[in-house]
Amino acid sequence: MKSGINTEVAFTYMVGRRKQTIVAALGVTFGISMFIFLNSLITGTNEYTEKTMLSATPHIRLYNDNRISDHVMLDRYMGNKTINLISNPQLVPDDNKIINPDVVLQQLQKRKEIISMSKQVSTNIIYSNSNVEENGNIFGVNILEQDKMFDITSSMITGDVRSLINKPNGIIIGVGLAERLNLKKGDNITVTSTTASRTLEVTGIFKTTIKTVDNTKTYCNIPVVQQLLQKDRSYITDIYINIKNYYNAPATAESIQQETGYTVETWQSSNEQSLAGKKIRDVIANSVVITILIVAGFGIYNILNMVIYEKIKEIAILKAVGFQGRHVISIFVLQALFIGIIGSILGMIVGWGISYSVSKMYIGLGNVTYLPIAFEPRHYIQGAVFGVITSFLAGYIPAIRASKVDPVQIIRG
Amino acid sequence: MSIALKAENINKFFLVPDKFQALSDVSFEINKGEFVSITGKSGSGKSTLLYVLSTMDTDYTGTLMLNDQKITGNKQNSLAAFRNQHLGFVFQFHYLLPDFSCLKNVMIPAMRLGKLKQDEIEYNAHEKLKMLGVGEQALKPASKISGGQQQRVAIARALINEPAILMGDEPTGNLDSKNTAVVFEIFQQLAREHNKTIITVTHDNDFAEKSDRIIEMRDGKIIGLA
Ligand SMILES: Nc1ncnc2c1ncn2[C@@H]1O[C@H](COP(=O)(O)OP(=O)(O)O)[C@@H](O)[C@H]1O
Ligand SMILES: [Mg+2]
Repeated sequence: MKSGINTEVAFTYMVGRRKQTIVAALGVTFGISMFIFLNSLITGTNEYTEKTMLSATPHIRLYNDNRISDHVMLDRYMGNKTINLISNPQLVPDDNKIINPDVVLQQLQKRKEIISMSKQVSTNIIYSNSNVEENGNIFGVNILEQDKMFDITSSMITGDVRSLINKPNGIIIGVGLAERLNLKKGDNITVTSTTASRTLEVTGIFKTTIKTVDNTKTYCNIPVVQQLLQKDRSYITDIYINIKNYYNAPATAESIQQETGYTVETWQSSNEQSLAGKKIRDVIANSVVITILIVAGFGIYNILNMVIYEKIKEIAILKAVGFQGRHVISIFVLQALFIGIIGSILGMIVGWGISYSVSKMYIGLGNVTYLPIAFEPRHYIQGAVFGVITSFLAGYIPAIRASKVDPVQIIRG
Repeated sequence: MSIALKAENINKFFLVPDKFQALSDVSFEINKGEFVSITGKSGSGKSTLLYVLSTMDTDYTGTLMLNDQKITGNKQNSLAAFRNQHLGFVFQFHYLLPDFSCLKNVMIPAMRLGKLKQDEIEYNAHEKLKMLGVGEQALKPASKISGGQQQRVAIARALINEPAILMGDEPTGNLDSKNTAVVFEIFQQLAREHNKTIITVTHDNDFAEKSDRIIEMRDGKIIGLA
């Protein structure tokens, strides 16, 4: 009952200023709904771009890079008696192959965080049908492994990924390439590398969300590419690795690199541009939201200052009849909290409403049919928490002022 | 007879606009159950003295005892708690909270004190309002009743926690003679029948004459302890 009277006074003051209270609460509502909407949109967009990235990039790619020459061999040859320096180190051109890929795979198999792996060999290629030619990259893969990793099946518009298993000379091509070279399932396509040329049969056509992939990428069996490159049957250029939590890719990559000695690249480092875009989006959204919340905070600050200015005699009376500083603070902080809580609840509802309607808005630009919007409880909870904290702070400052009112000065008049 | 209030060598200075001694060496005692008027010309320091006695003004030298407790030197918060329980106030401009009903105005100090349940407080508040003849007004907003009625509600509020001492700064200053007489009678009754100590600052000589004792002030000094 002791604090009940603070609540009652706070509530009465707010009801007495219904209009300003509603306006102040709507300020919070606006801030919180924007917070929720922007965060939902940005998270949705980030998830969408991430999904797009991961549909073409493995979490981790392991390959053999050209190495810069170092003094290790020299030390071995000359011994430790001399200090060996290479004055103008050069990149050592290499075969770029992974030596003994099956051993590497077995080694990696022991890691619990890895959920799938796929070895492959790829090269630049010229596709041609009669006289028309197109550049691109051909990927020699174990199609079942790749399908598990990138869900190629879901992007197939003609044929089946399994067709490669039965047809050693089969090739799965993108829809863009199919149009440019006027190819249908069952047609023949000629692929020419720097060293060899072969004719393959189109067994399937896929359509991804990325245009360049549809125009240039093709899948075939590993031996086809090995033959095009005139390499032996153990020639493997890359191992693709997917792990349980792809945000842990950098740490896992680091440890794989140390274990195997091969160069390891994460999806994050191969998509730095897009991830920079994510950062920028976050910064923009946060500045907008902070601005709105500050404005909403000023709304609350303002109304409380007004109430305190108007009620200064009553504050003096309350102090005269025995209200202490902290009681006065709680009267005004409670008002701010009421405003903040009402505003935040409305803000969550409105924020959901805006997010929902925008997610139903047809965009139809490129692969984006509808704006990607995430509906995550954490945005709503965060929004409400921010709203209430902002309100509290905006109320606390004037409340302190009210608590310092000297009743003698006011009552003396 | 026990002592309700003891002031010893109270001195108070105002520093703005110029250094000015508003109270000089004020010393006196008031017994329990006494009805005392403080009089004097305008500017003689009556209000200044009352605010010191009321514990609201702590910026003075000297010693103040209320109900055998030393008040001087206590912190604001403990003084607020003391006022809540032991002191009642009536001001010239009755100062009710206009957003609340008369009843709620009377209940507020008791709710702050928090010793009784809500319904007990409400019952007591009704009793006080009835005693002061404004029981009918209980549920009206405090801003919707006459000045004389407002002053009686303010007295009811001052009495709700059964304080030992009731103080008033010109509590009848804004009332007509009929209402002034009513308030006087209430004060006298409180002193005689309920053994409350009443200290009021007043301009009104008739009012002062009828009280038990007059403390007269001039230029911040007590010139008569009749
Ligand atoms: N806040 C103040 N600052 C400076 N001087 C004051 C203040 N309040 C009162 N005074 C001065 O103190 C003297 C006593 O004032 P007050 O106690 O209000 O007189 P009374 O109530 O007897 O009319 C007056 O001369 C007045 O001008
Ligand atoms: Mg005065």
